[in-house]
Amino acid sequence: MSFREKTAWISVLSMSGIYGIYFWSVVHYGSRARGFHLGGLLGTIVALVVVQVVLTVAVAIFSPKDAKAPCDERDKLIALRSMRFAYSGLATGIALACFFSGFDPPIVFNMNALLFILVTAEIMRSAYQIVQYRRGA
Amino acid sequence: MGAIRNEIRRLRFEHGEMTQQELAEKIHVTRQTVNAIEQGKYSPSLETAFRISAVFGQPLESVFHYSDGE
Repeated sequence: MSFREKTAWISVLSMSGIYGIYFWSVVHYGSRARGFHLGGLLGTIVALVVVQVVLTVAVAIFSPKDAKAPCDERDKLIALRSMRFAYSGLATGIALACFFSGFDPPIVFNMNALLFILVTAEIMRSAYQIVQYRRGA
Repeated sequence: MGAIRNEIRRLRFEHGEMTQQELAEKIHVTRQTVNAIEQGKYSPSLETAFRISAVFGQPLESVFHYSDGE
């Protein structure tokens, strides 16, 4: 498994887990004060950065040669295809968010809906990278 | 649908059992990319195809073959 595939796995798993906890708490404690969401979001971002940095460094330590290798043409092609795939999800999500904003939902709902769309698109991007690396290209 | 087949595995063997990693370093790609090319899962760019041919000292058409699926 290449270093870039491993980092894609780290991205998918860490984002699914950490943002999963965040969105679960938003749904579960949705009626609490606005400050709770801001604090929770800040904690989520910090946790995500720490987990991703620690895991990526750990992977790089075990395969330093792979980690130092620059992206080659196949890595770039896979990254571009994944970005295109994720963009379709992002565009669909934004269109849905625009539609539902017409019902005048609370600002906290709008903020979290947009964040959910962004996180989903990012997970789609990394997941599609993994699929392509598994297929060969 | 057409497919690009290649003789890289045989040529590596004939060139002192060159490893995928050694070939990858010579043509500036990762070992995984060489593996994907060798298995026909990834069609390399023209530039990489020429680099591979140059490593083995063979013309391009001796290394890569196009078959239209017939």
